[in-house]
Amino acid sequence: MSGAAQAGGRTSLEGWRLLSFLIAIGLVFFIFIVRLFYLQVLEHSNWLRQADDNRTQVISLAPPRGVMYDRNGVLLASNTASYNIIATPAFLPADSGEIEQIIFELANMTGLPVTRGSLDEPLIPCGTNLGLREMIAIQTSFAPYNPVQLQCNVSREMALAIKEKSIDWPGIDVQVEPVREYPTGEMTAAVIGYLGPIPAAIEPQMRALGFVPNRDKVGYGGLELYFDEILRGVPGRRVVETDVGGQILRDLEAPIETQPGQNLVLTIDMRLQQAAYQILKRDIELWNDFIGETTMTSGAVIAMDPRTGEILAMVSWPSFENNRMARFIPAYYYEQLVADATNPLVNHAVGAEIPVGSVFKLVTSVGILNEGVVGVGQVVQTPGLITVSERFFEGEVGRSREFVDWNREGFGQLNFIGGIAQSSNVYFYKVGGGFQDEIPEGLGICRLGTYARALGYGELLGIEQPYETDGLIPDPTWKRRTQGENWSTGDTYITSVGQGFVLASPLQILMSAAVIANDGVMMKPTLLREVVDGNGNVIQTFQPTVIRDLTRDAVIEKYENPSGIGACRPTGEKVTVEPWVIEAVQQGMRGAVQFGTLQQEFDNNPIGVAVAGKTGTAEYCDETAFSKNLCQYGNWPSHAWTLAYAPYDDPEIAVIAFVYNGKEGSSVGGPIVRQMLAAYFGIKEVDNEQITP
Amino acid sequence: MRTAIWRHFDFWLLGAVAVLITFGLAMISSSIAGNPQLLELDIVGRQITYALMGFVVILVSASLDYRLWVAVSRVLYVLLLILLLFVVAVGETSFGAQRWLNIGLVVLQPSELAKITMIIILADFFARNREGAKDFKWIFRSVLSTLGLVVLILAQPNLSTSIVLMTVWFALLWVSGLELKHLALFIFGALLIAAIGFPFLEPYQQQRIINFVAPNPEAALDANYNVTQSLITIGSGGVLGQGYGQSTQVQLRFLKVRHNDFIFSAIAAEFGLIGAVAVLGVLFFIIWRCIRAAQLSQDTFGSLLCYGVAVIIALHTIVNVGMNIQLLPVTGLPLPFISAGGSSLLTFMFGIGLVESVVARHRALNFS
Repeated sequence: MSGAAQAGGRTSLEGWRLLSFLIAIGLVFFIFIVRLFYLQVLEHSNWLRQADDNRTQVISLAPPRGVMYDRNGVLLASNTASYNIIATPAFLPADSGEIEQIIFELANMTGLPVTRGSLDEPLIPCGTNLGLREMIAIQTSFAPYNPVQLQCNVSREMALAIKEKSIDWPGIDVQVEPVREYPTGEMTAAVIGYLGPIPAAIEPQMRALGFVPNRDKVGYGGLELYFDEILRGVPGRRVVETDVGGQILRDLEAPIETQPGQNLVLTIDMRLQQAAYQILKRDIELWNDFIGETTMTSGAVIAMDPRTGEILAMVSWPSFENNRMARFIPAYYYEQLVADATNPLVNHAVGAEIPVGSVFKLVTSVGILNEGVVGVGQVVQTPGLITVSERFFEGEVGRSREFVDWNREGFGQLNFIGGIAQSSNVYFYKVGGGFQDEIPEGLGICRLGTYARALGYGELLGIEQPYETDGLIPDPTWKRRTQGENWSTGDTYITSVGQGFVLASPLQILMSAAVIANDGVMMKPTLLREVVDGNGNVIQTFQPTVIRDLTRDAVIEKYENPSGIGACRPTGEKVTVEPWVIEAVQQGMRGAVQFGTLQQEFDNNPIGVAVAGKTGTAEYCDETAFSKNLCQYGNWPSHAWTLAYAPYDDPEIAVIAFVYNGKEGSSVGGPIVRQMLAAYFGIKEVDNEQITP
Repeated sequence: MRTAIWRHFDFWLLGAVAVLITFGLAMISSSIAGNPQLLELDIVGRQITYALMGFVVILVSASLDYRLWVAVSRVLYVLLLILLLFVVAVGETSFGAQRWLNIGLVVLQPSELAKITMIIILADFFARNREGAKDFKWIFRSVLSTLGLVVLILAQPNLSTSIVLMTVWFALLWVSGLELKHLALFIFGALLIAAIGFPFLEPYQQQRIINFVAPNPEAALDANYNVTQSLITIGSGGVLGQGYGQSTQVQLRFLKVRHNDFIFSAIAAEFGLIGAVAVLGVLFFIIWRCIRAAQLSQDTFGSLLCYGVAVIIALHTIVNVGMNIQLLPVTGLPLPFISAGGSSLLTFMFGIGLVESVVARHRALNFS
C-alpha cells in the first residue's frame, strides 16, 4: 500500500506524549478510586443511614379521643365526621385531557374555581388561594402519592355525591376526618373546654408520644385540658417502606395499634346544668334590661351534692361557643374572647377570685362558737353603727373609726341565730374584733384564718379543672409583706364580715356551706364519676373522698395571741370543731330562710322542702369598676352572693349563685338559688316517678 | 491479506467493549425496574438493538481502510454544518435544549456524529502538518475547523459536547507536539475564558457550576437533589454492594436519571466498591488498548485517530464518573458503553471500529 512509503511505516508521534496522556488518565482514575473508597468504606454507614431514611417513613395512627357523658349518659363531648374532598395525583388518569374533564366536572359540583392564582403560591390544604388545576399540579410535583385537600368540611350530601362519582374519577376521593362536637355547646363550654393545636411548648414531648402537630389536637380548657392524657389515647405506629413518590410498599416493623382515649362519665346532670345556665342567663339579662344597662357582666352557679362532693351543675357566664373551635380556632373569635373584660374563657365558678362579703360570716360563726367568744343564746347589742378605735400597734391609742351595718336602722339586739339570719354586720364586727366590755376579746384575725382554711378557703380543692384559684385569706404577715403596713384592728372588723382583703372562688364559698350542711364532713368536690374504656368497661368507679371531718380531725390551730396585733403565733395545739357548733350554724342558716335575709324569697315554702341559706353582698373595687369611676367612698359597687342547701334535715343539694356587680345578694342571687332548688327537686320527682310508676 | 487483517484484530479490545455493554444492559434493566413509563419505552430492547447495530458498525469499519474516512469526513463535516444549522432552527426540544433531530425511525443526535467527524478531520490536519513548524499559525489553523462546529453546538445550547470537541482538539494539539511554553499560555487562556465566559452561560448552566463549587445544604431537595442522591446511592453500596436489583436507592427511584447519567451510582450501589473499581478498570483497559493501537499504527494519521478515540472515551468516563462522585459539576455526558442511549453508544462503537481498523493493518504491510 502507499502508506508503506511514509516515515518508515511507523507513527511519528512522540511516545512520551502518548504515555503522559495515559498516566494523566490513570492518575484521575486513582483519585476517583480514593474518593469511592472514602464514600463507600469510610462514610458507608452514614450514607446507608440516609438511604434508609429516604425509604423509611414512620406513620402515626391517630387514636380516637375519648368522649364525655353526663351522669345519665347524655353526650357532652363526642367525635363526629367532617368530610373533605381530596385528590391523589398519582391515581389520576394518565391522560391530561381526562384530568381536565374531571377538574371541570368537580368545579361544577363544588363551585371551586378551575384555575386561580399561580404555581408559585403556597399550597394551603383546604385553602382558597388556588384553583383545582393549580392545586393538583403543585401536589403532582411535590408528593403525588399523598392526597391534597381540595375542599374541607363539605356537607354530607356533597360527600356522598363525590364518593359516588369517585368510581369515574380515579384519584378524587372523600376523606373522613374526626372533629370534636359538643352537643351541649355553650351550656357546658366552661366546664368541658375545647381543643386546639398542639402548642409549640409541648410539641417535642407530644411528638415523642407519637402525636402529629397540625393533625392531632390537645385540650385547651376545662376537662378537655385537665383529662387530656386520659382522653387523647395512645397513637399507633407504622414503620413503612415507601418509594420516591411516597407510595407505601410494605411494613418494615409490626404495626402498633392505636389505643383509643378513655371515656369520661361526669357527675353533671345535664338537666340541672341546662336549668342553671338558662336561669343564670335569663336573670342576668332581665336585670340588665330592667336597669337599662349591662351592669351585671358575669356570674356563676354551682350545684353540688354535699354528701358526696359530686358537682351536679357548674355554669359560668358569659360562656363561649366551643363548637366554633371544633375544626380550628378562628383567630378573630379567639381574640374577641381574650379581649373581653368578662373573660368568657375563664370558668368563673372555680377560676375567679372574688371579694366574698357576708357569706364569709359562716366562717366567723363557726369560729366564735367553737372558741367560746359568745354563746348561742348570748344577746349582743346591734345598733346601726359602732365606733371603735383603729390601732396598728399593741397599746396604741388609735383613731376612732365608724363601722356601719347594711341595715342603717340597726337590729336592736340579736343572739347568734339572729346574727346569721339577719346577716347583721355589727354583730359580726363585735364578735370578730371584740367590742369594749361587751365582747372583751373577739375572734381575731389569726383564728378567723384557721377557721376559714378549715372550711375550704385559701386552698386548692382539687376540682378537675385547670386554672383553679386558691383565693386569699389575709393575715398580719401577709399584709406586712404585700402592703407594707401593719395589720390594724379595723382590718379584723371588716374581715369578720368577709370584706377587705378576702378573696375566694364560688366553689370555695360553696364548700364552706356544704361542709356545714354535711355536719362538718368536707367532701372533695368532683366532676368525674367514672372512667370507661372504649369497650364500655368501667376502669374507675366513683368513690366519694373525704377531705376532712371537722368534728374529728383536729385542724383548728390555737394561737398565743388570738386577736393580737402582729404576726400570728400558733401554739402548735390543734382542736376539732364541736358538732353542736355546726348544728347552731345550720340553725342560723335555716333562720335566714325562715325570718332573715332570704325570708322573702322563700315565703310560703315554694320548693316544698325546708331550705337553709345565706346571702352576701360583697363590695368591690376592681379595675373595671375603678375605670368607670364607680368606686365612690361609702358607695362601692357590690357583687351578689347567695348560698342555700336543702332539705334542711338531710341535705342532698347545696347551691351557690354569684352575679358580678349584682348589687344585692338576696334580691339577685336569691331568685337564682330558689329556681335552682325548684329545678333540682322537680327533676328528682320525675326520676322517682320513672322508678316507681 | 484479508485474513491477515483479522489476525491482528484486537479481540481483547472488542471483548472488553462487549463485557461493558452486556453489563450496561443488565444495569439499565435493574435501573428501570419499577418505572412503568420507562418500561413502556422498552429502553433495554432498544439498547440491545443499538448494541447489535454497533457490532455491525465495528466489523464494517474495521474491515474498511481507515484512510478512506479522510475523504468522507470532509463531506460529513459540511453535512454536519448544514444539519446543525437546521437543528438550531427547528430541532426537537428535549429538556430545554435543541439537540435531537427525528430522522424517521432513529432519533439522531448530530452532535454525537460531530465527535468522530472532528477526530478524523483533526487527525488528518495534524498528520499532514506533522513536519511543519509548531507555531501560532499552526495552532490557529487547527482550531478553525473545530470552532466551526463548536459555535453551532454551543448555540443549541450544548455546552458539554462543545467542551468535548475543544478537548479533542487540544489533546490532538498536545500529542502533535505543542510546545510546553504554549501549553502554559493555554492554561492561562483557559482560565481567562472560563472567567469571562461564565456570565454568558445559560442560567441553568451557571446554577450547576455554582451548586458544584458551593453546594447549598438547604437546597438538597431541588438543585442538589440528584447529586445528593447519587452520593447516598454510592455510599450505601459499601464494599460489596447491596446486590443486583437490591439497592433501595435505585429500585425505589430515589436516584434520578439512573439508567443514564447516574448509572455509575447504580453500579456502585448494587456492586459496591469492587464493582465500581472493576468498571473503571475495564474502561482504563479500553483506553490503554486504544493508546497501544496508536503506538502500533503504521502512520501518523492512524495513530492520531486511535489517540482521539481514547481521548473521547477517557473524557466521557472522567466527566461522568466525576459528576457521580461529586468531584465535577453536573453535565449530560454518558458513561461510555454503559449508559442507555443509542447515539452515544453507536459513536463509541464506531470509534472502536476505527481503532480496530488501524490496529488490524499495522503489520499487514510487512507481508505485502
